[in-house]
Amino acid sequence: MSAAAAQVLVVEDDPHLAAGVRENLRAEGYEVHAAADGEQALGWLRGNRCALIVLDVMLPGMDGFAVCRALREQGDTTPVLFLTARGDPADRVRGLEAGGDDYLAKPFHLQEFLLRVRAILRRWDWYRSVSATPATAVLTFGGNEVDFRAFRARTFNGEAQELTEKEAMILKVLAEHGGEIVSREDLLERVWGYDVFPSTRTVDNFILRLRKRFERDPANPRHFLTVWGVGYRFLKDGEA
Amino acid sequence: MKSTRVFQLTTLALVLVSVVQVGWWLIDQRSYTAQTVAASRAAYAEEAGAAQALLDAGVAPEQVQALLPKIAVAGGRAAVAAPVSAQLASEELTRHRQYAWEGAFFLLALGLCIAVIARALRAERRVLEEQDSFLALVSHQFKTPLASLQLSLETLALRTPPPPQARVLIDRMLADLARMELMVTQILESARLERGRVDFKSEPLKLASAVNRVVSQLEERARGAQVSITADIAPDLEVMSDPLALDVVVRNLLENALAALGPAGPGTIALSARALGGEVELEVRDSGVGFAAADGARLFEKFTRLHPVGSGASYGTGLGLFIVRRLMELAHGRVSAHSDGEGRGARFVLTWPAAGQPS
Repeated sequence: MSAAAAQVLVVEDDPHLAAGVRENLRAEGYEVHAAADGEQALGWLRGNRCALIVLDVMLPGMDGFAVCRALREQGDTTPVLFLTARGDPADRVRGLEAGGDDYLAKPFHLQEFLLRVRAILRRWDWYRSVSATPATAVLTFGGNEVDFRAFRARTFNGEAQELTEKEAMILKVLAEHGGEIVSREDLLERVWGYDVFPSTRTVDNFILRLRKRFERDPANPRHFLTVWGVGYRFLKDGEA
Repeated sequence: MKSTRVFQLTTLALVLVSVVQVGWWLIDQRSYTAQTVAASRAAYAEEAGAAQALLDAGVAPEQVQALLPKIAVAGGRAAVAAPVSAQLASEELTRHRQYAWEGAFFLLALGLCIAVIARALRAERRVLEEQDSFLALVSHQFKTPLASLQLSLETLALRTPPPPQARVLIDRMLADLARMELMVTQILESARLERGRVDFKSEPLKLASAVNRVVSQLEERARGAQVSITADIAPDLEVMSDPLALDVVVRNLLENALAALGPAGPGTIALSARALGGEVELEVRDSGVGFAAADGARLFEKFTRLHPVGSGASYGTGLGLFIVRRLMELAHGRVSAHSDGEGRGARFVLTWPAAGQPS
């Protein structure tokens, strides 16, 4: 799917802002659908799919965070870009925890908004393209089996696990560069894009989560190895 | 503000210590009285014992009686005289009553002090919370039209659209500015009304002209929101009010009705008026989100927004209806809100003194 043909759902209750966002996305070549509240958005998404949801946080009734959580609980992994009038860091973290991909505080610059939309779509295009064939959709290592398309995994002890999009993306980036060192900055850039998170420590937290899921002894990892001061290396067959 | 709070808390602590002290004083006085009375009784019992010993030793009862006047001597037996026992019991009772009255009075006074301070502290906390939520609300409410304004301007700069599209963007920007101006006006109006610095004229005004003027200002927005506004007002109905205040109350009520209709989709707002004795009544009825009957009075308090931020009343500052109530008070009129419940529409009734109407 080319970025220019991507479908975007804009969920915004302010008619002027909604119209402005819609018109600009159309001008960039996206196919745009609109919803004025969360219920309407969830209703549309039950019968349709899109490449990105631009989601206002302060919506009538159900707020944007609740809409995003509801989507994730239904197994819908469509990327979400939050728009909000509250730009404090705590709110930003809430948005990302609710399953959002990016967060933009109102008022925002048009060019920055368009850049972020492009960045999210590019990341997901890449992810989908590298998980497209049966060979690349499934990764097996150390008795674990990860299905990148379904965001599900079965671990070495037979446990079924649901992966978040970020966990799946990090695993994909590492697996793509199996055996090579991938820096934290590279992982940030590939998975989150620029300046969404303030520090590379976030990457470390995600690696810890992956170790807990897939390593027999997370304290002595054999697959997700730390290269001190640089980043991480993934070994499919485990460290000897 | 902080030093007042420290003063209030210190006073509260002192009053609480005083309560404990008064309680302790009561217990102490009661036990002291009991001890004193018991000691007196023991002393009289001792005197009675001595009198009995004298009688037994053969001293004449008259001599014993003269020596110990508080002891009654009869039939060779000595005992504490009945009036003396009665006086002791009465003194004890009087003391106890005195403690009960004084103690109750002090405790009541201290209790009142605690209630007054606690009330002041609660009121202060509420004001602080309201101010916090008001600031958050105002900043949110300003950021949305500001974001829209910035988006329109940047669209014009980035894309240089053809004139018809540019016109749409310009109209949108003007509307955003009008929204922000309304917010600023409401915030200033409410601040002015709070401080009572209002130059309020009272003159006969045609209600229909004011309503038609405000309705025409909001008609386009109502059409966009699929809301139909109808007004049925006799052209000769006149009310006594300030011309500016009359426009503001009608506009605020219509803004409120439009906001209440937001999430409900298409709807209606109906305005009707009638003369009632020496008064004129204007009814604004909408088919919007309504409210629970118990919230009717709370609607007119400052910063009250019954629906959470971002819900239907997305343009509201929580000041519109507060302003309506204050302006109606200044016009010697009144306003009331009625609804059959959430989702069942609302009815606002404004009542002014009539101008030139026979009462």
